Amino acid sequence: MDGAVLYLADPPQSSQDRSNGGIMMEQGSNGTVIRLRALSKHFGAHTVLDAIDLDVRPGEVLAIIGPSGSGKSTLLRCINYLERPDGGTITIGPTTIDASMPVERAELSKLRRRVGMVFQSFNLFPHMTVLRNVSIAQERVLGRSRAEAEERAMQLLSRVGLADKAGQHPGRCSGGQQQRIAIARALALDPEVMLFDEPTSALDPELGLEVLAVMRELADSGMTMIVVTHEMGFAENVSDTVMMMADGDIVEKGSSNQVMRQPQQERTKRFLRAVHDR
Amino acid sequence: MSQADIFVILRGLPWTVALTLGAFLIGSIVAVPLLAARESQFLPLRLFAMSLIQVVRGIPPLLWLFIIFFGLGMSYFPISPFVAALTGLGLIAAANMAEIYRGALKSIHHGQWEAANALDLGRLSTVAFIIAPQALRVALPSAASYLIGLMKETAVASTIGVAELAFQGNRLSQLTFQGLEVFAVVGLLYVVLSLPVAWLSRSADAYLRSKVAA
Repeated sequence: MDGAVLYLADPPQSSQDRSNGGIMMEQGSNGTVIRLRALSKHFGAHTVLDAIDLDVRPGEVLAIIGPSGSGKSTLLRCINYLERPDGGTITIGPTTIDASMPVERAELSKLRRRVGMVFQSFNLFPHMTVLRNVSIAQERVLGRSRAEAEERAMQLLSRVGLADKAGQHPGRCSGGQQQRIAIARALALDPEVMLFDEPTSALDPELGLEVLAVMRELADSGMTMIVVTHEMGFAENVSDTVMMMADGDIVEKGSSNQVMRQPQQERTKRFLRAVHDR
Repeated sequence: MSQADIFVILRGLPWTVALTLGAFLIGSIVAVPLLAARESQFLPLRLFAMSLIQVVRGIPPLLWLFIIFFGLGMSYFPISPFVAALTGLGLIAAANMAEIYRGALKSIHHGQWEAANALDLGRLSTVAFIIAPQALRVALPSAASYLIGLMKETAVASTIGVAELAFQGNRLSQLTFQGLEVFAVVGLLYVVLSLPVAWLSRSADAYLRSKVAA
């Protein structure tokens, strides 16, 4: 775990008293940074998301758990419009998008710039150096100069403990390192919210740990995060809130303690039992 | 066969090289808008590009040169044999290169598009900085083998009077009645021409591979 210990230099706050951590955030009027209303998605006759309502507070870390096909990844991908929802609204900070209307490119841009995304399969750009992976969008999207972008990229690579990999290509890095680079890349646009789509599922357990350490540090710094995960340890110990999904619906949502230790719904109990029995 | 005979054949070499590289260059460039049209959201444009590619690839190169040189050239506007051959072979190369690019494009993992979208890179930046560099690397070996194929195909230009290798060989064989020797030398020259292309393609591929892969 080269370097992954670095960020523990800041004493981790407990998830209960975690606050904004100094990150400036534009908030909706009622203190939510993400607000979904009646968000729906169908593939043919199959309902993938059934009118989802969700509020996420600034600095909140929300873990979404549930069986495969429950719609949790689709929900995440709808939030930044990688997947087009069929209906409902998405509000991030001051930007609201109504999925039932045609969306303008400029509106989509505003939405996506507020949201960083980390994929299960990393999706780094293999033909670019690690440094370029983290700096290119800063130049093309934010209009930063090359020097500015690379300086920021180096800061972020140091933050994820990979400054020494800056000149290499991603193919020369381990899966865990690649995912940490992907986190740095997403952070480079200074997002207000980070979405993680099963960030450790493609990694063996030890490499997963170094990614989870970076995510924990990010959570402790006050970043608002939505994490689709099968890592029950993360859901229980790092996230503030846990949401259980099944069949395109929210089964239950509550504090991580409550959902993980005293689930109210039979469906959640069954899922957690299955996970723990493995 | 005398040294002078060899020089007669060699006089065809620049024409073969010019025709090959010229047609390849035209093809590589024209293929880009052709592919863009082929992949367009706008159906009529897509259909137009698809049928153009099919028609161009479906008609033998020899016939294309006849259409351009004897058909258009003799009836509508005067055109030199070389320009006619360059136009015809360039058009054919464009259709083929568009298909090579398309195959390369399809081989790029959709996660690359998604990552670029999530970073809000616009479509142009995504293609220019993320997709095209990777696709070109994938296209390189097919493009190189197409270039060698195209070089051999330039021999059809002899039929409309471009004084390239096959043309010079044919002329010389009729003068000397030493067909076997003459065409053996011509054949050898084609092989020699293809060697640097194959070598360059392999080393470029190895270089790019070493940069990208583990």
